[in-house]
Amino acid sequence: MMYGFSFHRPKSLAEAADVFARADDPTYVSGGHSLLPTMKSRLAAPSDLIALTHLPELQGITRDGDRVIIGAAQTHASVASAALVQDALPALAQLAGSIGDMQVRHRGTIGGSLANNDPAADYPSAVLALGATIVTSTREIHADDYFDGMFATALELGEIITAIAFPIPKSAGYAKMRNPASRYALAASFVAKTEDAVRVAITGAGSDGVFRWSAAEKALGASFDSAALAGLALSADDMLGDMHADASYRAHLAAICTQRAVDNQGRLTLL
Amino acid sequence: MTAQRQAPLPDGWAYDASTVDAGVLNAELFSEIGKPLRRREDHRLVTGKGRFSDDFSIEGQLFAAMVRSPYAHARIGAIDKAEAEALPGVVAVLTGQDALDDGLTAINHSPVPSTRFDVRLTAPDGSPPFIGPHLLLPVDKARHVGEAVAIVVAESRAAALDAAEMVDVAWEELPHVIDSLDAIKEDAPTLWDEVPGNTFVDCEHGNPEATKAAFEEAATVVRAKLHINRVTAVTMEPRAALADYDAETGRSTLYAGSGGAVRQKRELSAVLGIPQDDLRVLSYDVGGNFGARNRVYVEFGLVLWASRRLQRPVKYTASRSEAFLTDYQGRDLHTEVALALDADGKFLAMTADNVSNVGARCVSLSPLSKGAGLITGSYHIPVAHLRTRAVFTNTMCTQAYRSSGRPEVTYAIERLVDLAAIETGIDPIELRRRNLLAPQDLPYRNAVGSLYDSGEYEANMDRAMALFEWDDVGRRRADAKARGKILGVGLANYVESSIGTPKERAEITVAPDGAVEVVIGTQPSGQGHETSFGQVVADMLQIPAADVTIVLGDTDRVSVGGGSHSGRSMRHAGTVMVMASADLLRVARDLAAERLDLAPDALDYADGTFTARGTNRSVTLADLSSEQNPLSVARTNEMHAPVFPNGTAICEVEIDPVTCQIAITRYASVDDVGRCINPLIVHGQSHGGIAQGVGQAMWEDCAIDPESGQPLAGSLMDYGLPRIDTMPFFDVEISEVLSPTNPLGIKAGGEGGTTPALATVTLAVLDALRPLGVTDIAMPITPQRIWQALDTAAATPKEKAPA
Repeated sequence: MMYGFSFHRPKSLAEAADVFARADDPTYVSGGHSLLPTMKSRLAAPSDLIALTHLPELQGITRDGDRVIIGAAQTHASVASAALVQDALPALAQLAGSIGDMQVRHRGTIGGSLANNDPAADYPSAVLALGATIVTSTREIHADDYFDGMFATALELGEIITAIAFPIPKSAGYAKMRNPASRYALAASFVAKTEDAVRVAITGAGSDGVFRWSAAEKALGASFDSAALAGLALSADDMLGDMHADASYRAHLAAICTQRAVDNQGRLTLL
Repeated sequence: MTAQRQAPLPDGWAYDASTVDAGVLNAELFSEIGKPLRRREDHRLVTGKGRFSDDFSIEGQLFAAMVRSPYAHARIGAIDKAEAEALPGVVAVLTGQDALDDGLTAINHSPVPSTRFDVRLTAPDGSPPFIGPHLLLPVDKARHVGEAVAIVVAESRAAALDAAEMVDVAWEELPHVIDSLDAIKEDAPTLWDEVPGNTFVDCEHGNPEATKAAFEEAATVVRAKLHINRVTAVTMEPRAALADYDAETGRSTLYAGSGGAVRQKRELSAVLGIPQDDLRVLSYDVGGNFGARNRVYVEFGLVLWASRRLQRPVKYTASRSEAFLTDYQGRDLHTEVALALDADGKFLAMTADNVSNVGARCVSLSPLSKGAGLITGSYHIPVAHLRTRAVFTNTMCTQAYRSSGRPEVTYAIERLVDLAAIETGIDPIELRRRNLLAPQDLPYRNAVGSLYDSGEYEANMDRAMALFEWDDVGRRRADAKARGKILGVGLANYVESSIGTPKERAEITVAPDGAVEVVIGTQPSGQGHETSFGQVVADMLQIPAADVTIVLGDTDRVSVGGGSHSGRSMRHAGTVMVMASADLLRVARDLAAERLDLAPDALDYADGTFTARGTNRSVTLADLSSEQNPLSVARTNEMHAPVFPNGTAICEVEIDPVTCQIAITRYASVDDVGRCINPLIVHGQSHGGIAQGVGQAMWEDCAIDPESGQPLAGSLMDYGLPRIDTMPFFDVEISEVLSPTNPLGIKAGGEGGTTPALATVTLAVLDALRPLGVTDIAMPITPQRIWQALDTAAATPKEKAPA
């Protein structure tokens, strides 16, 4: 059971920011599927919860030229089932469809996931590998400048993600090994191929959260074939280790996931 | 002691129709028994009409929260309640000292199995073991993380939880010990001053001299050191209790789901120091037990005590975190075993050194005792030498957990047999055949004294292998290889003992409208008693099962009953229901004879009706009952003889050597349950049992950090469970070799799914990984463990990966 808090349902982005500015120790909440369990475990005790999911500025999935724009309040289920995403970015749609369970997918949102930046979350890898842009209440942030270590981002206090703009790549693939207990990623790799480059982002494994594997990008940029990854290894020193997977196993899995993501462009692969 | 084929039977072991007045049952008359009737309780449960403990609330109730120890081992200094008591809505903060001042005593768990068929366990000096008194709240030390040391009662749950955090306990942290093998070391921290060294049970069984001699002349000896990991039940419904005190009558009512309301009433009234009649316990629908709910929980006593003190109803509902910390846990056995074989692969002798981790105090020795009696498994092993120890550690108490003690020893013997097969070069199936007990060997007294009743062990194995399509394994192995996977198969035979609390009582009443009500003491937690018990009484009275209603779970209705554990419910309840039904028909026959003015033996009975032979004059059971004089009987029975369900299970796994991912691809089993009353229910029990055993083998683990003593798997984020997409479809069959020990010939169902599963999964994994140099792997066998095993075996898949 949670500690006491005040709940707010602002009518606009501006009102949300205003409530945030005036509250003692506020937190925005979207789907709440990371925050609420934490609060129920009494490990988080915000004074004020400010709901965002219903805000009009955060809605919609649209195509804008060579970009797919996804409103921050779109649930994982809505991203997974959007024909537009399935067509332009099938790996992203399938990634969304692999998050958590049915309940999580119908409550959890892309904006909430990115604001939280759980080191084992799925979306950060897609955002980073696709070089997406995080659109916020005040500015636009490129993915390369957004992620700032575990549960940390470039967001300023009170700043709200409104949308994510994904450039449409030539192709992309996502491969994931799930934690047998939580089903979060033990390690996962999103590999995106554009006209002039390959970007590889690893989630679940790094001790500093999601990261780009530049050596793999370089090798795949020269030859987009999983054979090009031979001989490349991630250092266990940079990996997370716990009872579910030690650092050496995570380094291994991240490499295998990258290989599978290359081999299976255009879709999700579960190891 | 030496194992004995065709063992002589002790008095009272075999069912004797003449002594129980039920006569010999005519199975040809059975029309409901053996039918896969759908469970009549399910509609209620799936439409939200179940009555689980937390569903009960009483106007004006207070809420309890516990102050729990953050340390594995710490002395309790001053407890400052002031800040907590000052919080709005807080009604009371009570400590262990308050409980002592009110005269409360420790819970009497009676942990030492005591029937004459149980393996006897004593302290090292032969005296009764010191079990570590289980006060509702300790006053000296907290002995495990999560142990409750104070209770806060408040007007709301939120206030109680907030206040519990404000209770300031002056802790003095002490050195702790988590693993039982560490706890028996000389310099280990001591939990109880009464037991320096922490070992409170230490006994030897079997024949050490003959065993030693057999090992000396053996052609082959194999040895293993094994740990059967600690798991927890993860019941869907966390435990909950609501206590209500009636100041006028002085009676308390406790709404609390458990494995048996009668035991709760007996032990809790003793803790409170009140007459048993002053406590009514209601245990209706129970959302999962698996053993965890069979013993009394401190919180149940605490809400009863608080409600009597405060004269208000008090409710407690455990959170999932509290369930992970303080539900009674299961397994945690270290065993060191060895098997001696002659040149022909015949087993000669076995040794076992079993060390059970009971946790901070002893709630049950059933796992150690049950396992001790079955170390030789399904095989003829002439002599054995067994050492059994039970050890205190700074962990939550362990209790009998689904198939108490038997999966542990099945795991040990079956791993030994596979090791012996490798060592001797004899095919593992052939080696089992050479040593399995034959039907004519039974009754069989094994080398540690257990008397197996009946069974056709080799037939089980043959049938399971046929179900599994064993002959086709080679092709499947090749197919898997072509897909980049390694296939492994693991087979385990098992035999288990079902004993359980010996007493059970049935009251059968026929209402004037013909409805039959049966009051029975044992308590289900999803096993479908309302359906299957009804089938038994229906056939005994030759009436439709739909006419029979089973009443359970209210100690104002149910006075005697042992609860559901050790596969006892259908055997004990079935037996006493047979006897009570016979009593009822005897009474009814006399009444009918009087009514028809004939001699009782001039009447025929069929389909609920007595008919004067050769006439059309008849009277029904309903006719013989009236509101004033209902047709009713009560019968109490005590039955001590154990039965030995047995069977074979086979698991097939596929492992991806690159990712180390593992999947079960096939699972078959044959379970000899004796007479099967409702195959639909028994199959369901087998499926659940398999999932529970496989769960332990593959995912579940109450991991504890040895350095800090903190549990590492405190939520479903870290405690892995079997899921629908990680379970295969099961090919299970029931074998019915009737037990000679009871009128229906029942053994037990359900636990058999769990008992061999730890072994089958592990042996399948080892079969798959052996070519890569892996010879041992610990449970749970997660991808991480496979990675480590391959790494250790230096057969790492790294070269295949781009890494």
